[in-house]
Amino acid sequence: MGKTKIRINYSKCGNATGGIDPRQCSRCLYICEPAVFIRHPALKVKEENPYDPQYWQVTPVWLSLCTRCLKCVKACPQNAIAITW
Amino acid sequence: MCKWCMRHGAGGKWYLNARNYSNELAESMNLQAYLEEQWKNFEQVYIRKIMGISSIDLGNKLKMPIIGRILRWSVERMIHSESLNRNPVRADGHFGQVIPIEEAKLIMMNLAAEPIIKNYCMCRMMQKGLKDACCINFGLLSSVIEKLPRFIPENSKLHITREEAVEALKEQNLKGRIATVWFQPVPYINAICSCEVPQCGGLRLRMDFGLYTVYKAEYVAEVNSDLCQGCRSCISRCQFNALRYSPTLERVIIDPIKCFGCGLCRDVCPQKAIILTPREEHPGLKGKY
Repeated sequence: MGKTKIRINYSKCGNATGGIDPRQCSRCLYICEPAVFIRHPALKVKEENPYDPQYWQVTPVWLSLCTRCLKCVKACPQNAIAITW
Repeated sequence: MCKWCMRHGAGGKWYLNARNYSNELAESMNLQAYLEEQWKNFEQVYIRKIMGISSIDLGNKLKMPIIGRILRWSVERMIHSESLNRNPVRADGHFGQVIPIEEAKLIMMNLAAEPIIKNYCMCRMMQKGLKDACCINFGLLSSVIEKLPRFIPENSKLHITREEAVEALKEQNLKGRIATVWFQPVPYINAICSCEVPQCGGLRLRMDFGLYTVYKAEYVAEVNSDLCQGCRSCISRCQFNALRYSPTLERVIIDPIKCFGCGLCRDVCPQKAIILTPREEHPGLKGKY
């Protein structure tokens, strides 16, 4: 299997870049069986309280484990995920 | 007995050495500031850079011809780092080992440093978006996690007693999760987790990429062929595909190389046909963690 590319439109997903707060949604994380995505505090954002980050992002990290089932694409309420290979 | 027991075990297993749990050790390593820095943004650990290369898509990068090998060496060195200039924003010196539930009980009752807390599992939160209060942290790490609101459970109490911690671990074990004990950073021990493949960050790296973030237990499961009735209740408990029902033999067979020695299969066997035997006693498995 070749390389899978998962692109997330960060203007729709991720509250640091103008999208929704991933903590309220997280459907892609929940539906993905090999757990390809992770949800993390956004990089390069100045937090008011560093112990309680408010800006979050979803990143597909384990791309080599993606099975191309496209469940995340269907589950995303923002249509922010695109998968190519 | 691997090199971590040799180095930090005081003649026994590393996680049964009381020194590794002591506040004096944590103080001498100046860990308060280190752990605070590490846990503030611990979820970013998988997207940070290793040797200037972003760790996003680590699986494909490790498969690259030469860079992959160097990257693997670099990640292994990072995980097992004992140097004094460890970087708190990475998982330097953070690795663990699978333990059967009776040893988890032994640690919680006798060795773990106060205070003991039960907080949301970071791995499950970051990889599945689930809030699941199951991680038992103790010692210095408790006071660090107390400051991070996202890990504080909403419906259960944070500070627990030793007995409650044992009960919580048993409950998770019954659910089908394996107990693991963690260095953070080596040689200070401050967590017992209840892990599950594939959400666990440590087991993900071990199972999918072969990086030694989680070592196999000091034990390996063995099926007594005379007692096994072939009910197969153990098979669904194994997270490592080590058990299989053989229709020819009409009993369960075990692959000792895949077995992590967690003891989950043993706990459900109605015939008590599965026992844990020390890994060191198996000629073929000796030293293979």
